[in-house]
Amino acid sequence: MTEIGAPIQGVTLYSFTRAFHGREYDLESLIRKVAAEGYGPGLEIIGFSSFRGFPTIEPTFAGWFKDLVAEVGLVTTSLAVNADIGIHRDRLLTQPELIEYMSRQIEAAAALGFPIARVQISLTPDSMEQLVPIAEKHNVTLALEVHADQYASHPRILALRDRYEKIGSPLLGFTMDWGATTVGFAPSAIEAYRRRGASEELLSAVVALWNDYFEQGPPANQEVHGRRFGSFIGLAAQHGRPELGIDFGINGTGLFGPARVNDWLEIMPWIRHVHGKFFGIDENGEEPSVPVRDLVKLLVENGYTGAISSEYEGWHWNYWQSPFEIIAGEQAVQRSAAIDAGSHMITDAAEARAALAAHLAKTVTNS
Amino acid sequence: MIPDRIIEQGTLTTTGARASVEVRIPWYRALPGSCISGAKLTIDGVAAPVESLRWGMNGREFTFDELATNVDEWWFPLDSATLSGDLAVSPDAEHTVDVDLTLYIPYIIISDSETLHIDEHDHKTMTAVQA
Repeated sequence: MTEIGAPIQGVTLYSFTRAFHGREYDLESLIRKVAAEGYGPGLEIIGFSSFRGFPTIEPTFAGWFKDLVAEVGLVTTSLAVNADIGIHRDRLLTQPELIEYMSRQIEAAAALGFPIARVQISLTPDSMEQLVPIAEKHNVTLALEVHADQYASHPRILALRDRYEKIGSPLLGFTMDWGATTVGFAPSAIEAYRRRGASEELLSAVVALWNDYFEQGPPANQEVHGRRFGSFIGLAAQHGRPELGIDFGINGTGLFGPARVNDWLEIMPWIRHVHGKFFGIDENGEEPSVPVRDLVKLLVENGYTGAISSEYEGWHWNYWQSPFEIIAGEQAVQRSAAIDAGSHMITDAAEARAALAAHLAKTVTNS
Repeated sequence: MIPDRIIEQGTLTTTGARASVEVRIPWYRALPGSCISGAKLTIDGVAAPVESLRWGMNGREFTFDELATNVDEWWFPLDSATLSGDLAVSPDAEHTVDVDLTLYIPYIIISDSETLHIDEHDHKTMTAVQA
Protein backbone atom coordinates (compact mmCIF):
# COMPACT_ATOMS: atom_id res chain seq x y z
CA MET A 1 0.00 0.00 0.00
CA THR A 2 1.48 3.30 -1.08
CA GLU A 3 1.60 6.00 1.54
CA ILE A 4 -0.30 9.10 0.44
CA GLY A 5 1.74 12.05 -0.79
CA ALA A 6 1.68 15.78 -0.12
CA PRO A 7 2.76 17.64 -3.29
CA ILE A 8 4.67 20.91 -3.06
CA GLN A 9 2.84 23.99 -4.34
CA GLY A 10 4.75 26.09 -6.84
CA VAL A 11 4.72 28.05 -10.06
CA THR A 12 6.77 28.50 -13.21
CA LEU A 13 7.56 32.06 -14.23
CA TYR A 14 6.41 31.00 -17.72
CA SER A 15 2.88 31.56 -16.37
CA PHE A 16 3.69 35.28 -16.17
CA THR A 17 5.19 35.53 -19.68
CA ARG A 18 2.92 38.43 -20.71
CA ALA A 19 3.84 40.52 -17.66
CA PHE A 20 7.60 39.81 -17.94
CA HIS A 21 7.74 40.27 -21.71
CA GLY A 22 5.68 43.45 -21.32
CA ARG A 23 8.36 44.80 -18.93
CA GLU A 24 5.86 45.14 -16.07
CA TYR A 25 8.19 43.04 -13.87
CA ASP A 26 11.87 42.26 -14.18
CA LEU A 27 13.26 38.95 -12.90
CA GLU A 28 13.84 40.21 -9.38
CA SER A 29 10.49 41.95 -8.96
CA LEU A 30 8.66 38.94 -10.42
CA ILE A 31 10.36 36.54 -8.01
CA ARG A 32 9.56 38.88 -5.12
CA LYS A 33 5.92 39.03 -6.22
CA VAL A 34 5.70 35.22 -6.49
CA ALA A 35 6.95 34.95 -2.91
CA ALA A 36 4.92 37.82 -1.47
CA GLU A 37 1.63 36.63 -2.97
CA GLY A 38 2.11 33.01 -2.00
CA TYR A 39 2.45 31.33 -5.42
CA GLY A 40 5.37 29.29 -4.06
CA PRO A 41 7.29 27.93 -2.38
CA GLY A 42 8.26 25.96 -5.51
CA LEU A 43 9.91 28.11 -8.20
CA GLU A 44 10.53 26.95 -11.76
CA ILE A 45 12.22 29.05 -14.43
CA ILE A 46 12.92 28.58 -18.15
CA GLY A 47 16.61 29.28 -18.68
CA PHE A 48 16.34 30.84 -22.11
CA SER A 49 13.40 33.03 -21.02
CA SER A 50 14.67 34.59 -17.83
CA PHE A 51 18.49 34.52 -17.79
CA ARG A 52 20.27 36.81 -20.24
CA GLY A 53 23.16 34.99 -21.90
CA PHE A 54 21.90 31.54 -20.85
CA PRO A 55 23.33 28.94 -20.55
CA THR A 56 26.39 30.98 -19.53
CA ILE A 57 25.88 31.82 -15.85
CA GLU A 58 28.47 34.03 -14.17
CA PRO A 59 29.28 33.01 -10.57
CA THR A 60 28.36 36.48 -9.28
CA PHE A 61 24.96 36.22 -10.94
CA ALA A 62 24.37 32.72 -9.57
CA GLY A 63 25.23 34.02 -6.10
CA TRP A 64 22.85 36.96 -6.44
CA PHE A 65 20.07 34.67 -7.67
CA LYS A 66 20.47 32.08 -4.92
CA ASP A 67 20.61 34.80 -2.26
CA LEU A 68 17.41 36.33 -3.60
CA VAL A 69 15.58 32.98 -3.64
CA ALA A 70 16.71 32.28 -0.07
CA GLU A 71 15.81 35.78 1.13
CA VAL A 72 12.23 35.60 -0.14
CA GLY A 73 11.73 32.02 1.09
CA LEU A 74 11.25 30.20 -2.21
CA VAL A 75 12.57 26.76 -3.20
CA THR A 76 14.07 26.27 -6.65
CA THR A 77 12.55 23.14 -8.23
CA SER A 78 13.09 22.79 -11.97
CA LEU A 79 15.15 24.72 -14.48
CA ALA A 80 13.45 24.18 -17.83
CA VAL A 81 16.13 23.65 -20.48
CA ASN A 82 15.78 23.18 -24.22
CA ALA A 83 17.01 20.58 -26.67
CA ASP A 84 17.54 23.00 -29.57
CA ILE A 85 18.54 20.37 -32.08
CA GLY A 86 17.34 22.61 -34.95
CA ILE A 87 19.52 25.59 -33.96
CA HIS A 88 21.49 25.48 -37.23
CA ARG A 89 19.51 26.44 -40.29
CA ASP A 90 21.00 23.80 -42.57
CA ARG A 91 21.24 20.71 -40.36
CA LEU A 92 20.31 19.18 -37.02
CA LEU A 93 22.82 18.99 -34.17
CA THR A 94 25.02 15.91 -34.21
CA GLN A 95 24.80 13.59 -31.22
CA PRO A 96 28.06 14.87 -29.61
CA GLU A 97 26.92 18.47 -30.19
CA LEU A 98 23.55 17.73 -28.58
CA ILE A 99 25.16 16.15 -25.51
CA GLU A 100 27.46 19.18 -25.17
CA TYR A 101 24.50 21.57 -25.66
CA MET A 102 22.51 19.82 -22.91
CA SER A 103 25.53 19.47 -20.61
CA ARG A 104 26.06 23.23 -20.48
CA GLN A 105 22.45 23.74 -19.42
CA ILE A 106 22.58 20.99 -16.80
CA GLU A 107 25.68 22.68 -15.41
CA ALA A 108 23.76 25.98 -15.34
CA ALA A 109 20.92 24.32 -13.39
CA ALA A 110 23.40 23.20 -10.75
CA ALA A 111 25.07 26.64 -10.61
CA LEU A 112 21.70 28.30 -10.01
CA GLY A 113 20.64 25.80 -7.36
CA PHE A 114 17.97 23.88 -9.29
CA PRO A 115 17.89 20.17 -8.38
CA ILE A 116 15.93 19.27 -11.55
CA ALA A 117 16.46 20.06 -15.23
CA ARG A 118 13.31 19.70 -17.33
CA VAL A 119 14.39 18.22 -20.66
CA GLN A 120 12.39 17.61 -23.82
CA ILE A 121 11.08 14.83 -26.03
CA SER A 122 13.70 15.08 -28.78
CA LEU A 123 16.15 13.40 -26.38
CA THR A 124 16.16 9.69 -27.17
CA PRO A 125 16.76 6.86 -24.69
CA ASP A 126 20.39 6.81 -25.93
CA SER A 127 20.76 10.55 -25.27
CA MET A 128 19.33 10.20 -21.78
CA GLU A 129 21.73 7.36 -21.06
CA GLN A 130 24.67 9.42 -22.32
CA LEU A 131 23.65 12.31 -20.06
CA VAL A 132 23.66 10.23 -16.86
CA PRO A 133 27.33 10.95 -16.04
CA ILE A 134 26.70 14.69 -16.53
CA ALA A 135 23.65 14.50 -14.27
CA GLU A 136 25.68 12.61 -11.68
CA LYS A 137 28.56 15.08 -11.85
CA HIS A 138 26.22 17.98 -11.08
CA ASN A 139 23.66 16.03 -9.02
CA VAL A 140 20.79 17.24 -11.19
CA THR A 141 17.74 15.08 -11.94
CA LEU A 142 16.77 14.99 -15.62
CA ALA A 143 12.99 15.03 -15.94
CA LEU A 144 11.87 14.59 -19.54
CA GLU A 145 8.58 16.36 -20.16
CA VAL A 146 5.61 14.29 -21.30
CA HIS A 147 3.60 16.94 -23.15
CA ALA A 148 0.73 16.73 -25.65
CA ASP A 149 0.74 15.40 -28.33
CA GLN A 150 2.64 12.72 -26.41
CA TYR A 151 1.18 10.92 -23.37
CA ALA A 152 2.45 8.43 -20.80
CA SER A 153 1.59 5.26 -22.76
CA HIS A 154 2.95 6.64 -26.05
CA PRO A 155 5.56 4.25 -27.49
CA ARG A 156 8.31 6.90 -27.33
CA ILE A 157 7.62 7.50 -23.62
CA LEU A 158 7.45 3.79 -22.83
CA ALA A 159 10.79 3.30 -24.61
CA LEU A 160 12.31 5.94 -22.32
CA ARG A 161 10.72 4.37 -19.26
CA ASP A 162 12.05 0.95 -20.20
CA ARG A 163 15.55 2.38 -20.63
CA TYR A 164 15.30 4.17 -17.28
CA GLU A 165 14.35 0.88 -15.69
CA LYS A 166 17.37 -0.82 -17.25
CA ILE A 167 19.80 1.96 -16.21
CA GLY A 168 18.40 2.24 -12.70
CA SER A 169 19.63 5.79 -12.03
CA PRO A 170 17.57 7.87 -9.59
CA LEU A 171 18.52 10.92 -11.69
CA LEU A 172 16.36 9.90 -14.68
CA GLY A 173 12.64 10.55 -14.73
CA PHE A 174 9.76 12.44 -16.24
CA THR A 175 7.97 15.75 -15.93
CA MET A 176 4.23 15.12 -16.08
CA ASP A 177 2.47 17.86 -18.04
CA TRP A 178 -1.26 17.97 -17.38
CA GLY A 179 -1.87 19.19 -20.91
CA ALA A 180 -1.58 15.57 -22.07
CA THR A 181 -4.74 14.67 -20.16
CA THR A 182 -7.32 17.41 -20.71
CA VAL A 183 -11.09 16.99 -21.01
CA GLY A 184 -12.04 19.82 -23.34
CA PHE A 185 -11.00 22.56 -25.75
CA ALA A 186 -10.35 25.43 -23.33
CA PRO A 187 -13.36 27.80 -23.16
CA SER A 188 -11.04 30.82 -22.80
CA ALA A 189 -9.43 29.91 -26.14
CA ILE A 190 -12.90 29.62 -27.69
CA GLU A 191 -13.71 33.08 -26.27
CA ALA A 192 -10.54 34.45 -27.87
CA TYR A 193 -11.66 33.11 -31.29
CA ARG A 194 -15.08 34.65 -30.69
CA ARG A 195 -13.38 37.99 -30.10
CA ARG A 196 -11.59 37.48 -33.43
CA GLY A 197 -15.00 37.20 -35.09
CA ALA A 198 -15.35 33.43 -35.42
CA SER A 199 -19.01 32.38 -35.78
CA GLU A 200 -20.83 30.42 -33.08
CA GLU A 201 -21.38 27.68 -35.66
CA LEU A 202 -17.63 27.36 -36.29
CA LEU A 203 -16.83 27.43 -32.57
CA SER A 204 -19.38 24.69 -31.86
CA ALA A 205 -17.88 22.62 -34.66
CA VAL A 206 -14.35 23.00 -33.22
CA VAL A 207 -15.52 21.89 -29.78
CA ALA A 208 -17.45 18.94 -31.28
CA LEU A 209 -14.45 17.83 -33.35
CA TRP A 210 -12.17 17.93 -30.30
CA ASN A 211 -14.79 15.98 -28.30
CA ASP A 212 -14.81 13.29 -31.01
CA TYR A 213 -11.03 12.92 -30.68
CA PHE A 214 -11.36 12.80 -26.91
CA GLU A 215 -13.79 9.87 -27.29
CA GLN A 216 -11.30 8.15 -29.61
CA GLY A 217 -8.42 8.76 -27.20
CA PRO A 218 -4.92 10.03 -27.96
CA PRO A 219 -3.44 9.53 -31.44
CA ALA A 220 -1.79 6.14 -31.81
CA ASN A 221 0.97 7.51 -34.04
CA GLN A 222 2.18 10.59 -35.94
CA GLU A 223 0.03 9.76 -38.93
CA VAL A 224 -3.16 9.92 -36.87
CA HIS A 225 -1.87 13.08 -35.18
CA GLY A 226 -1.23 14.67 -38.59
CA ARG A 227 -4.71 13.71 -39.82
CA ARG A 228 -6.30 15.32 -36.76
CA PHE A 229 -4.22 18.46 -37.23
CA GLY A 230 -5.36 18.62 -40.85
CA SER A 231 -9.01 18.17 -39.91
CA PHE A 232 -8.93 21.31 -37.74
CA ILE A 233 -7.45 23.23 -40.67
CA GLY A 234 -10.17 21.85 -42.94
CA LEU A 235 -12.91 22.86 -40.53
CA ALA A 236 -11.70 26.48 -40.45
CA ALA A 237 -11.58 26.55 -44.25
CA GLN A 238 -15.10 25.08 -44.57
CA HIS A 239 -16.41 27.89 -42.39
CA GLY A 240 -14.65 30.61 -44.35
CA ARG A 241 -11.96 31.34 -41.72
CA PRO A 242 -8.88 29.54 -43.13
CA GLU A 243 -6.52 31.88 -41.22
CA LEU A 244 -7.68 30.29 -37.94
CA GLY A 245 -6.96 26.73 -39.10
CA ILE A 246 -3.32 26.36 -38.01
CA ASP A 247 -4.16 27.84 -34.62
CA PHE A 248 -7.05 25.37 -34.14
CA GLY A 249 -4.70 22.56 -35.14
CA ILE A 250 -1.83 23.62 -32.86
CA ASN A 251 -4.10 24.08 -29.85
CA GLY A 252 -6.47 21.21 -30.60
CA THR A 253 -3.67 18.66 -30.91
CA GLY A 254 -0.64 20.20 -29.19
CA LEU A 255 -2.12 21.87 -26.10
CA PHE A 256 -5.30 19.96 -25.30
CA GLY A 257 -4.20 16.33 -25.13
CA PRO A 258 -7.02 13.72 -24.98
CA ALA A 259 -5.42 10.94 -22.88
CA ARG A 260 -7.13 9.73 -19.70
CA VAL A 261 -5.86 10.67 -16.24
CA ASN A 262 -5.09 7.03 -15.36
CA ASP A 263 -2.69 6.83 -18.32
CA TRP A 264 -0.09 8.46 -16.03
CA LEU A 265 0.09 5.23 -14.02
CA GLU A 266 2.33 3.82 -16.80
CA ILE A 267 5.16 6.07 -15.62
CA MET A 268 4.06 7.14 -12.15
CA PRO A 269 7.15 5.96 -10.19
CA TRP A 270 9.39 7.95 -12.55
CA ILE A 271 7.47 11.24 -12.24
CA ARG A 272 9.99 13.59 -10.67
CA HIS A 273 8.30 16.87 -11.47
CA VAL A 274 4.87 18.12 -12.54
CA HIS A 275 3.72 20.94 -14.78
CA GLY A 276 0.26 21.79 -13.48
CA LYS A 277 -0.70 22.96 -16.95
CA PHE A 278 -3.98 24.83 -17.16
CA PHE A 279 -5.78 27.38 -19.30
CA GLY A 280 -8.28 29.27 -17.18
CA ILE A 281 -10.61 29.35 -14.20
CA ASP A 282 -14.37 29.62 -14.71
CA GLU A 283 -17.10 31.47 -12.79
CA ASN A 284 -17.34 28.54 -10.35
CA GLY A 285 -13.65 28.76 -9.50
CA GLU A 286 -12.85 25.54 -11.39
CA GLU A 287 -10.62 24.70 -14.38
CA PRO A 288 -13.15 23.71 -17.06
CA SER A 289 -10.79 21.84 -19.42
CA VAL A 290 -8.10 20.31 -17.17
CA PRO A 291 -9.22 17.77 -14.53
CA VAL A 292 -7.07 19.40 -11.83
CA ARG A 293 -8.90 17.65 -8.98
CA ASP A 294 -8.53 14.18 -10.49
CA LEU A 295 -4.85 14.80 -11.28
CA VAL A 296 -4.02 16.01 -7.77
CA LYS A 297 -5.93 13.04 -6.32
CA LEU A 298 -3.97 10.65 -8.53
CA LEU A 299 -0.67 12.15 -7.37
CA VAL A 300 -1.65 12.14 -3.70
CA GLU A 301 -2.89 8.54 -3.84
CA ASN A 302 0.32 7.44 -5.51
CA GLY A 303 2.53 8.99 -2.87
CA TYR A 304 3.86 11.92 -4.91
CA THR A 305 5.81 14.42 -2.77
CA GLY A 306 7.53 16.40 -5.51
CA ALA A 307 6.55 19.83 -6.78
CA ILE A 308 3.65 20.90 -8.96
CA SER A 309 4.51 24.03 -10.95
CA SER A 310 1.29 25.79 -11.86
CA GLU A 311 1.78 26.43 -15.55
CA TYR A 312 -0.76 28.88 -16.93
CA GLU A 313 -0.84 28.65 -20.70
CA GLY A 314 -3.96 30.73 -21.33
CA TRP A 315 -1.77 33.84 -21.64
CA HIS A 316 -1.29 33.03 -25.34
CA TRP A 317 -4.81 34.19 -26.11
CA ASN A 318 -6.26 35.69 -22.92
CA TYR A 319 -5.18 39.34 -22.96
CA TRP A 320 -8.28 40.55 -21.09
CA GLN A 321 -7.77 38.94 -17.64
CA SER A 322 -4.99 39.17 -15.05
CA PRO A 323 -2.85 36.02 -15.00
CA PHE A 324 -2.10 36.60 -11.32
CA GLU A 325 -5.72 36.09 -10.21
CA ILE A 326 -6.20 33.13 -12.53
CA ILE A 327 -3.10 31.35 -11.16
CA ALA A 328 -4.18 32.01 -7.57
CA GLY A 329 -7.53 30.46 -8.50
CA GLU A 330 -5.94 27.30 -9.90
CA GLN A 331 -3.71 26.86 -6.86
CA ALA A 332 -6.80 27.10 -4.64
CA VAL A 333 -8.31 24.21 -6.62
CA GLN A 334 -5.10 22.18 -6.13
CA ARG A 335 -5.11 22.77 -2.37
CA SER A 336 -8.78 21.89 -2.08
CA ALA A 337 -8.26 18.71 -4.13
CA ALA A 338 -5.32 17.62 -1.96
CA ILE A 339 -7.44 18.05 1.18
CA ASP A 340 -10.32 16.12 -0.41
CA ALA A 341 -7.85 13.32 -1.11
CA GLY A 342 -6.92 13.19 2.58
CA SER A 343 -3.66 15.14 2.29
CA HIS A 344 -2.52 18.72 1.71
CA MET A 345 -0.29 20.79 -0.54
CA ILE A 346 3.00 21.79 1.04
CA THR A 347 3.24 25.58 1.23
CA ASP A 348 5.96 25.94 3.86
CA ALA A 349 9.44 26.45 2.38
CA ALA A 350 11.38 24.36 4.90
CA GLU A 351 8.91 21.51 4.59
CA ALA A 352 9.07 21.81 0.80
CA ARG A 353 12.88 21.69 0.75
CA ALA A 354 12.93 18.50 2.82
CA ALA A 355 10.12 16.86 0.86
CA LEU A 356 11.73 17.62 -2.50
CA ALA A 357 15.11 16.25 -1.39
CA ALA A 358 13.48 13.04 -0.16
CA HIS A 359 11.40 12.73 -3.32
CA LEU A 360 14.42 13.09 -5.61
CA ALA A 361 16.47 10.61 -3.59
CA LYS A 362 13.95 7.81 -4.18
CA THR A 363 15.01 5.03 -6.50
CA VAL A 364 12.31 3.24 -8.44
CA THR A 365 12.02 -0.34 -7.27
CA ASN A 366 10.11 -3.16 -8.84
CA SER A 367 8.55 -4.25 -5.57
CA MET B 1 2.06 34.08 -28.91
CA ILE B 2 2.23 37.84 -28.72
CA PRO B 3 2.39 39.23 -32.28
CA ASP B 4 0.62 42.44 -31.24
CA ARG B 5 3.82 43.53 -29.51
CA ILE B 6 6.23 43.10 -32.45
CA ILE B 7 6.28 46.79 -33.46
CA GLU B 8 7.06 49.16 -30.62
CA GLN B 9 4.77 52.16 -30.71
CA GLY B 10 6.48 55.48 -31.41
CA THR B 11 9.84 54.08 -32.57
CA LEU B 12 9.68 54.87 -36.31
CA THR B 13 12.69 56.97 -37.24
CA THR B 14 13.87 58.28 -40.60
CA THR B 15 17.14 59.59 -41.98
CA GLY B 16 15.37 60.63 -45.16
CA ALA B 17 16.61 57.67 -47.22
CA ARG B 18 16.33 54.95 -44.60
CA ALA B 19 13.64 54.12 -42.06
CA SER B 20 13.87 51.99 -38.94
CA VAL B 21 11.55 50.64 -36.28
CA GLU B 22 12.11 48.80 -33.00
CA VAL B 23 10.72 45.28 -32.74
CA ARG B 24 10.06 42.82 -29.92
CA ILE B 25 10.23 39.04 -30.10
CA PRO B 26 6.72 37.51 -30.32
CA TRP B 27 7.95 34.45 -28.41
CA TYR B 28 8.57 33.58 -24.77
CA ARG B 29 12.27 32.68 -24.91
CA ALA B 30 15.52 33.92 -26.41
CA LEU B 31 16.43 32.81 -29.93
CA PRO B 32 19.82 33.04 -31.64
CA GLY B 33 20.43 34.94 -34.89
CA SER B 34 20.24 31.69 -36.85
CA CYS B 35 16.56 31.37 -35.93
CA ILE B 36 15.64 34.88 -37.14
CA SER B 37 15.24 33.85 -40.73
CA GLY B 38 13.52 36.77 -42.37
CA ALA B 39 11.65 40.02 -42.01
CA LYS B 40 9.73 42.47 -44.11
CA LEU B 41 9.38 46.20 -43.39
CA THR B 42 6.49 47.97 -45.09
CA ILE B 43 5.64 51.63 -44.56
CA ASP B 44 2.51 53.19 -46.06
CA GLY B 45 2.15 50.05 -48.14
CA VAL B 46 5.64 50.22 -49.66
CA ALA B 47 8.04 47.40 -48.77
CA ALA B 48 11.74 48.12 -48.23
CA PRO B 49 13.95 46.31 -50.79
CA VAL B 50 14.99 42.96 -49.30
CA GLU B 51 18.72 43.54 -49.90
CA SER B 52 18.56 46.84 -47.97
CA LEU B 53 17.18 45.29 -44.77
CA ARG B 54 19.41 45.28 -41.68
CA TRP B 55 18.84 43.77 -38.25
CA GLY B 56 20.24 45.59 -35.20
CA MET B 57 20.71 43.48 -32.07
CA ASN B 58 23.04 43.55 -29.05
CA GLY B 59 24.74 46.71 -30.34
CA ARG B 60 25.59 45.21 -33.74
CA GLU B 61 24.06 45.32 -37.18
CA PHE B 62 23.52 42.25 -39.36
CA THR B 63 22.31 41.31 -42.81
CA PHE B 64 19.92 38.37 -42.80
CA ASP B 65 22.62 36.27 -44.49
CA GLU B 66 24.89 37.00 -41.53
CA LEU B 67 22.16 36.09 -39.04
CA ALA B 68 21.60 32.73 -40.74
CA THR B 69 24.87 31.31 -39.44
CA ASN B 70 25.06 33.16 -36.11
CA VAL B 71 24.44 31.07 -32.99
CA ASP B 72 26.35 33.42 -30.66
CA GLU B 73 24.15 36.52 -30.66
CA TRP B 74 20.75 35.98 -29.02
CA TRP B 75 17.54 37.99 -29.10
CA PHE B 76 16.50 38.14 -25.44
CA PRO B 77 12.76 38.45 -24.69
CA LEU B 78 13.13 41.84 -22.99
CA ASP B 79 15.26 43.44 -25.71
CA SER B 80 14.21 45.55 -28.66
CA ALA B 81 15.88 44.77 -31.97
CA THR B 82 15.96 47.30 -34.81
CA LEU B 83 14.70 46.58 -38.32
CA SER B 84 15.78 49.10 -40.96
CA GLY B 85 15.65 49.43 -44.71
CA ASP B 86 15.78 51.80 -47.66
CA LEU B 87 12.49 53.70 -47.55
CA ALA B 88 11.94 57.43 -47.92
CA VAL B 89 9.64 58.46 -45.09
CA SER B 90 8.72 62.03 -44.18
CA PRO B 91 9.35 63.03 -40.56
CA ASP B 92 6.65 64.49 -38.32
CA ALA B 93 3.91 62.78 -40.32
CA GLU B 94 1.80 59.74 -39.51
CA HIS B 95 2.59 56.46 -41.26
CA THR B 96 1.32 52.90 -41.25
CA VAL B 97 4.00 50.36 -40.37
CA ASP B 98 3.82 46.64 -41.12
CA VAL B 99 6.42 44.13 -39.99
CA ASP B 100 6.51 40.45 -40.93
CA LEU B 101 8.83 38.13 -39.09
CA THR B 102 9.79 34.50 -39.65
CA LEU B 103 11.32 32.72 -36.69
CA TYR B 104 12.54 29.15 -36.37
CA ILE B 105 11.68 27.35 -33.11
CA PRO B 106 14.78 25.22 -32.67
CA TYR B 107 13.43 22.61 -30.25
CA ILE B 108 10.30 21.73 -32.23
CA ILE B 109 11.30 19.30 -34.93
CA ILE B 110 8.38 18.42 -37.19
CA SER B 111 10.04 15.84 -39.41
CA ASP B 112 13.44 14.16 -39.76
CA SER B 113 14.94 17.27 -41.26
CA GLU B 114 12.49 20.10 -40.66
CA THR B 115 12.31 22.57 -37.79
CA LEU B 116 9.06 24.41 -37.03
CA HIS B 117 8.95 28.03 -38.12
CA ILE B 118 6.37 30.67 -37.31
CA ASP B 119 5.32 33.62 -39.47
CA GLU B 120 4.11 36.58 -37.45
CA HIS B 121 2.81 39.98 -38.48
CA ASP B 122 2.08 43.28 -36.77
CA HIS B 123 0.59 46.54 -38.00
CA LYS B 124 0.66 49.90 -36.26
CA THR B 125 0.28 53.58 -37.08
CA MET B 126 2.75 56.16 -35.75
CA THR B 127 4.50 59.42 -36.42
CA ALA B 128 8.03 59.27 -37.80
CA VAL B 129 10.86 61.03 -35.97
CA GLN B 130 13.89 62.51 -37.73
CA ALA B 131 16.99 60.48 -36.78
